[in-house]
Amino acid sequence: MNGGVNREITYLEAIREALTQEMRRDPNVFLIGEDIGVYGGAFGVTWGMLEEFGPERIRETPISEAAIAGAATGAALMGMRPIMEIMFMDFVTIAMNQLVNQAAKIRFMFGGKASIPLVCRTPAGSGTGAAAQHSQCLEQWFVHVPGIKVVAPSTPADAKGLLVASIRDNNPVMFVEHKLLYRTKGPVPEELYTIPLGTADVKREGKHLTIVAYSVMVPRALEAAQQLASEGIEAEVVDPRTLKPLDKQTIIRSVCKTGRVLIVHEAPVTGGFGGELAAVIAESEAFDYLEAPIRRVCGRDVPIPYNRTLERAAVPQVEDIVVAARRLVREGK
Amino acid sequence: MAIPVIMPKVDMVMETGTLVEWLKKEGEYVKKGEPLFIIMTDKANMEIQAPASGILTGIRAKPNQVVPVTEVIAYLVEPGETLPSPLEEGVSAIQAEATSIPTERSDTAGGEKVRATPAARRLAAELGIDLHLVQGTGPDGRIQKEDVLTYQERQQAVQEERVTGVTLQERPKPRIVFPTARRKGVVPLTGPRKIIAERMSYSAFTAPHIVLTLSVNMRESARLYERLSEPIRLRTGLRLSYTAIFARAVAAVLPHHPLLNASLTNDEIILWEDVDLGIATAVEDYLVVPVIRQAQNKNLEQIVIELNDLVERARGKRLTPSEMSGSTFTISNLGMFGIEEFQAIINPPETAILAVGKITEAPVGIEGRIELCPMIRLTLSADHRVVDGVAAGRFLTELKEVLETPYLLI
Repeated sequence: MNGGVNREITYLEAIREALTQEMRRDPNVFLIGEDIGVYGGAFGVTWGMLEEFGPERIRETPISEAAIAGAATGAALMGMRPIMEIMFMDFVTIAMNQLVNQAAKIRFMFGGKASIPLVCRTPAGSGTGAAAQHSQCLEQWFVHVPGIKVVAPSTPADAKGLLVASIRDNNPVMFVEHKLLYRTKGPVPEELYTIPLGTADVKREGKHLTIVAYSVMVPRALEAAQQLASEGIEAEVVDPRTLKPLDKQTIIRSVCKTGRVLIVHEAPVTGGFGGELAAVIAESEAFDYLEAPIRRVCGRDVPIPYNRTLERAAVPQVEDIVVAARRLVREGK
Repeated sequence: MAIPVIMPKVDMVMETGTLVEWLKKEGEYVKKGEPLFIIMTDKANMEIQAPASGILTGIRAKPNQVVPVTEVIAYLVEPGETLPSPLEEGVSAIQAEATSIPTERSDTAGGEKVRATPAARRLAAELGIDLHLVQGTGPDGRIQKEDVLTYQERQQAVQEERVTGVTLQERPKPRIVFPTARRKGVVPLTGPRKIIAERMSYSAFTAPHIVLTLSVNMRESARLYERLSEPIRLRTGLRLSYTAIFARAVAAVLPHHPLLNASLTNDEIILWEDVDLGIATAVEDYLVVPVIRQAQNKNLEQIVIELNDLVERARGKRLTPSEMSGSTFTISNLGMFGIEEFQAIINPPETAILAVGKITEAPVGIEGRIELCPMIRLTLSADHRVVDGVAAGRFLTELKEVLETPYLLI
């Protein structure tokens, strides 16, 4: 969708731009979180926004994720469009009761008479040496909760369009950013636009296997695909972008075409979103086109180590994707 | 990993093979290349070598069993290895479907499971291909989609060759230049002439004829002829003919040679219990073959009566079609026209025809002396698809023996 766009900005800037433009457009939108004002957010996403929108709309909170989530849920219930920030996704555990038991349920328990148009922005993932309590990818927990949507963009342009769509959605949305993506650059249109939730994107076309990856694993899959291409393997990289609702058709269509699928995510393999993806594929007509087992390359079942070498080894790297894809295509296993 | 042993396709048109015998026992270790079993094809018996080394196990074809080509008939496994799933004993599917096209079977008909990807299974189902027949190239011999496509291409190539074979037979006739001579007249190719033309060319161009000739000393048969002519004339009012004596002799000998009293169909040879003996008879300008039914049960007198009646009515064109068809063996005698010896074309669907020549006084060496004996030349044409030279020769030899010692007919 970004053909012809020359301006390149970072993932972080794209998110800030989405927040800023949407706040200018809709006075009901406001931010709430820790250190998002003067400090500009732990990663600098909201840097400078306090100056433009003032403390009423850039609301700083005490260190209580439960309070942030509770206040955001209440404000949403009263017609506001809060965007709450959880500084590290790991801390969303403290906000779980408000998000899972309140935000996710209210619309349904009130028969649709109330809604919770809240966005919970939060950076996930390892790679910064932040150790086990600041490196987790907990998106699958929310995928499992009916009433919450889960978005995990991989590019600056996707981040902007999906964030705007998330803000305008009348349901709670977990907007999972990735720390390592914040500094990545890409073409992003200056004007306000949306990317509908529930639409996957084929990031690269290929015919020998499908790699389904999201968030930081998309650039890794693309880099792997480039290496694979040099040895004659054309990988198709499909980015679901939204884990829930999931664009099953795009994934199934791709697997029908290639007959082989590698699922890549950073979160631990056991109980991860990859299992859900594998089941969706196996249950679909793509089953009849499979030429090899459905394979996953995911994080190991360990807390993320502080040691940089071990941290790197704990989650899929480009070379892991290359090896698994090559084996799948060349050896069929 | 178990290596399947299959009924090999040793020539392009082979659809089934008969297992003659296993040269190794179940559980015996076989080295790659060692003779493993013998099969019988349309042409000959063949020794088949082991495709790999291993322990012969799961034998599922018994001697004399007809097996479709590429059907798995056993496995070679490594020591200590067992087959992936128990095999049924002497799978009935093989026997039951021996003549059907193997690809019609589902992929579980063979009893063992096939390792194949979902994509390969879908494609095989769409194309109606039995995955048992497909060679897998994936991990552990798993059948990939590509393998099914390769199999399909090979099958198509075989089909095309068969089709080509047919078109070769049906290719246009060569351009033949006709004589420019003056014409006397035209005989329309209709009725019996047309039927004779069709049947004889069919026989001549489909049944490969082998032709065997021998001489028979008719001294004793001639004596029999002389001694019986008068009594038979008195009892029946009919004349005894040499054709009747040949008919009686053939009817007596033929039951000992079942392959000569037989009919070939597409995939089997029917052996006839009855000798329904056809006697080629000239009627004006064409030929009919009236039939003496169950000739093996009739004595000379009965044959004389029946033959006389048939020939009489044939000449008067009063035979019904059923009396002129369905013979199992034919005798053609041109001796009365002075023909010393000739070759006849088999009367389909029979397997053989006996051509009888003229009895001629000829010098014969007997115990160091030359004697003049009444000699006759008998020529047997037989369908080589059904019978071989030796078997045809045995029949002719026994016929000679009976004619030279006709008392054996009693």
